[in-house]
Amino acid sequence: MADVRSGAVQAPGLVAPRRRRRTAEVGRLGPVWAVPVVLFLCGFFLLPLGSNIMRAFDDGQGGLTLAHYIKLLTDAYFAGVVIETFKVAIITTVVCLLLGYPVAYFMVRYAGRWNTVIVFCLIAPLLTSIIMRTFGWTVLFARKGLINNWLVEWGLVARPLRLVDTELMVYIGLAHVLVPFMVLSITAVLQGIDQRLEESAQILGASPWQAFYRITLPLSLDGIATGCILVFVLTNGSFLTMLLLGGGKVTTLSLLIYQQFTLTQEVAFAAAMGNILLLCSVIALVIQLRLVRRKGVKA
Amino acid sequence: MNAPAAPARRRERRNYVALGLGIYVLAFMAFLLLPILVVVVISFSSATYIAFPMPGVSLQWYERVFDYAPFMQSLKVSIQIAVASAVLGAMLGVPAALWAARSQSVAANAVSTFLLAPISVPAIVLGFSLLYMLSALSMGVSFTSLLITHTVVSIAYIARTVLAVYRAVPPDFEEAAAVLGASRWKTFWHVTMPMIRPGIFAGGMFAVLISLDNLPLSFFFGSSTTNTLPVVMLSYMQNQFDPSIAAISTIQMLIAVVALLVVNALYGIEKLTAA
Repeated sequence: MADVRSGAVQAPGLVAPRRRRRTAEVGRLGPVWAVPVVLFLCGFFLLPLGSNIMRAFDDGQGGLTLAHYIKLLTDAYFAGVVIETFKVAIITTVVCLLLGYPVAYFMVRYAGRWNTVIVFCLIAPLLTSIIMRTFGWTVLFARKGLINNWLVEWGLVARPLRLVDTELMVYIGLAHVLVPFMVLSITAVLQGIDQRLEESAQILGASPWQAFYRITLPLSLDGIATGCILVFVLTNGSFLTMLLLGGGKVTTLSLLIYQQFTLTQEVAFAAAMGNILLLCSVIALVIQLRLVRRKGVKA
Repeated sequence: MNAPAAPARRRERRNYVALGLGIYVLAFMAFLLLPILVVVVISFSSATYIAFPMPGVSLQWYERVFDYAPFMQSLKVSIQIAVASAVLGAMLGVPAALWAARSQSVAANAVSTFLLAPISVPAIVLGFSLLYMLSALSMGVSFTSLLITHTVVSIAYIARTVLAVYRAVPPDFEEAAAVLGASRWKTFWHVTMPMIRPGIFAGGMFAVLISLDNLPLSFFFGSSTTNTLPVVMLSYMQNQFDPSIAAISTIQMLIAVVALLVVNALYGIEKLTAA
């Protein structure tokens, strides 16, 4: 009855008496060890997010109102920002998937000893600040930047092109920051797929493309899903790339929260925008948990 | 790689695929590294503006960075917050992760999800919410508030790695120690800890790297004594566009690389990608 494993019916904080502990549980920690962190996260994670949900209903005079959400979803400008947020997140996710999948496939099937080099290249950007990377893109694509210099020198264009402060730059910047997460998510799953499955399909007459499309791709869907959810959520939360590379052409909810905070200080309205982002993340998290659980059943 | 019986033609086609993919991967790596390399190069520029080709090489921007007090002050704050939040996050997160990794209960499952949840919440929402809650508790803009905020996220990154590492370790070793008469604490210190220590350090390393660059969490708590490096860099960049941003970025990168090399020398880099 007092088995630690059946902690579902046991309040955290109760530890089974040591004498009853079976050998299998010796050396393991009891649920009491989770109490401090659970309290900490309740106080500084759940509580602030919860009070933020309430704050969005605050009408400024102590009453409750839906006005902030109505403004956010019906006002032409703000509704446009909500739609733009999802558009940017979806495009970035698709771009990262298309850019990243071939890299993940190459790493698992062909790279061999070069794998370490590719992993290094994927991790290296994570050691640099996002500001450094956006700064790098600005330097490369500026009017007198490296790319324009080359284009003019090789006679491809007569005058330097205007490349910074465009939507395209935002997508390049976002893909650069987020594609490593996609690649690492997909390789984690691809590594577990037996290569002989693909070979068997080919021996049985499938073309290499068919073998990939019918066997490997469906088996790697879990990795694709994990990577897509991760990139989608991270894009929703980023604003630096839009701020520094977009030149005001791409406005998403995160960027608007930043601007509201620094300029207008409309707290309740900013809270409402934050809650929309939060809702997206919760939905993504639930989908991810479902996937993990399904995988757990299969294994 | 191929089954020995595979026809030569198929092997040849496979080589073309490998070659094509290989060329693509090279271009992809250039895409990843180019913007970083360009910043490192420009940090040594002797010009007062940013343009190519560079007129010459100098260290003047590094001198400027070391002379510019806000950069140095905020770098100090950033490092203090990153290290302190990783230590605090490990103290809070590791014991819970160790319990949750071994227990099959619903409660343990819920706790491990809860520990990881801060990763999935957009940092800007978390920072914004915490600022107003901590202000209500009259903690507002302070070093403590900043530390609490970063710790919430550090817990998640450390717990993630420790959960993955400890779940991959079979319980046999601990059982063997117990069967051979080791006490609960002896088993923990001499068997469990050595096996999970790489996970703790790799997770802590992740937490430090994330914290150093976490502008969305930090900028809500900005003041002259609590500004972190990214906050100062952003405001500098919005006013001036000169290579000193490149120099401070390169310094920040070097700090991260050195930290990574130290962890790698101690515990092996492959643990970083394990989770």
